[in-house]
Order: sequence, then C-alpha cells, then structure tokens
Amino acid sequence: MSSSTSLSVAPVEIGEPEVVEVTRTDRPWIVVVWDDPVNLMSYVVYVFQKLFGYSRKKARRLMLQVHHEGKAAVSDGPREQCEADVARLHAHGLWATMEHPE
Amino acid sequence: MARWRRFRRGSGDTLVVSLAPVELELLRGLPDQLQAVLDGPADDPARSRLFPRAYLDPTAETEDEQWQELVHPELLRERAEQLTTITASFGRAEAAGEWQEIALEPDDVQAWLGVLNDLRLVLGARLGVTADPRRVDPEDPQAPAFAVYDWLTGLEADLVDQLLG
Repeated sequence: MSSSTSLSVAPVEIGEPEVVEVTRTDRPWIVVVWDDPVNLMSYVVYVFQKLFGYSRKKARRLMLQVHHEGKAAVSDGPREQCEADVARLHAHGLWATMEHPE
Repeated sequence: MARWRRFRRGSGDTLVVSLAPVELELLRGLPDQLQAVLDGPADDPARSRLFPRAYLDPTAETEDEQWQELVHPELLRERAEQLTTITASFGRAEAAGEWQEIALEPDDVQAWLGVLNDLRLVLGARLGVTADPRRVDPEDPQAPAFAVYDWLTGLEADLVDQLLG
C-alpha cells in the first residue's frame, strides 16, 4: 500500500484461532484482501469501515495486516455473502478474493 | 488564520473542493479516459485491475465465471454512474478568487473518491507503479503521467483525510 505519512504503531497481537469441528458445508468461506502498491492506507481503512461497519481500530488493524503481511482475512460467512463482499470490495478498487479453507 | 484545505466542510452535508483552474481543466479530461478503459478490451491489464477475479482457487473457473456474470454488469454500471456524477459536478464550479470551488453532496463525494481511486489504479497499472520509491527522469516520456498520478494521489489523500476526520 501507499502511504503519504509515516505510521508508528505497536505490533498487533493476534490470538490463536479457535478450532471448531464443523461439516464441510457449514465451514465458512473467507474473504481476503491483498496488498497492492496503489491503494492508500487511509483509503483502505475508510473502505473497511464503510463496507463492514468496523471500528476505526479494527479497520486500521486489518489494513496494517494487509500492509505488513501482504494479506488479511476481512470477513467470513456463507459463500453467497462472501461473493457479495468481494464484489463490494472490487467496486471500491481493493484487490480481494475468496477461498474455502480446508 | 485557518489553514487552507483542499476539501472543507460546506453548508449542510456538503464538502467544498478548491481547485486551481488548471487543475479543474486537467480533471475534466480524465473521466473520458477512464470510460475508454471501461469500454475497452477485457484483456487490458488496467481494466483487469478494476475487475479482478473473485475465486482464489484457479480451478474454480466455473464458479468465477458465474460470479462475474452476476456482478459484472452492476460493477460496470456503478463505475459509469460515478463518471457521470463527477462530470456533472465539474459543471457547478464557481470562481472564488483565484480558485474554482465545487460544493459536493455526499453522493458526489463518493463518486469523486471512486473515480480518483479508479484513475490511480489504471494509471498505476499503466505505469507499473510499485511500492518502491521511484525517481522519474523529467525527460522520460512517462514523466507527465507520473506527475498526474502523484497529483491524484495527493488529491485522494486529502479527501480521505477529510472523510476520516
């Protein structure tokens, strides 16, 4: 991502994901946003807040995860919902894909 | 004295954008160029950047094609609508001293944000913009396009900063 200002923040702590036994059809799909060199960091925060209603803090944490790790899972759910989320992210110029984790 | 802002709060829900006359002239010419990309060949990398695939799994071709058929017309229509909206807003520019000012309603603001970002995505793809710092030779034939890209970046950053408060 592109930044016009420097950012100084503490490292993000991410808890271990909970492992839950579910059937294949129940397992949620996930929507992943990938880092790209054009979208502004501030713009990505704005879009996460606008599309998902996330707090500034959560939107910023996800944006930084995209920036530093190259990608971040931004939403999950049934396939149809993820297809809709990807479409909204593409409408806003973010590079997003969806996947069904094994 | 309040510092100058590119975008400032106007009456009601509006944002007022201030542009130098030369900036407004430059902006006026850009929607047609973006429309040409939208109307252009599907294998244009700049166009593909605006409409990426959804399914990460490369074998999910059928699913991705079905998704494209479902959402692509709407995504295309929204982008064309944003171009119409931003173009209409240029027509409302009013002289304020040395500046041209346009009062933007919330829908106009979203169109501005979308078009500025799309223009940067297209230019970024055309110019091969990367995350690395660059130094462009002024004699480089692409130097003017890089200058436009950087100027659009500043404009969009100002708008997002205003929206984030």
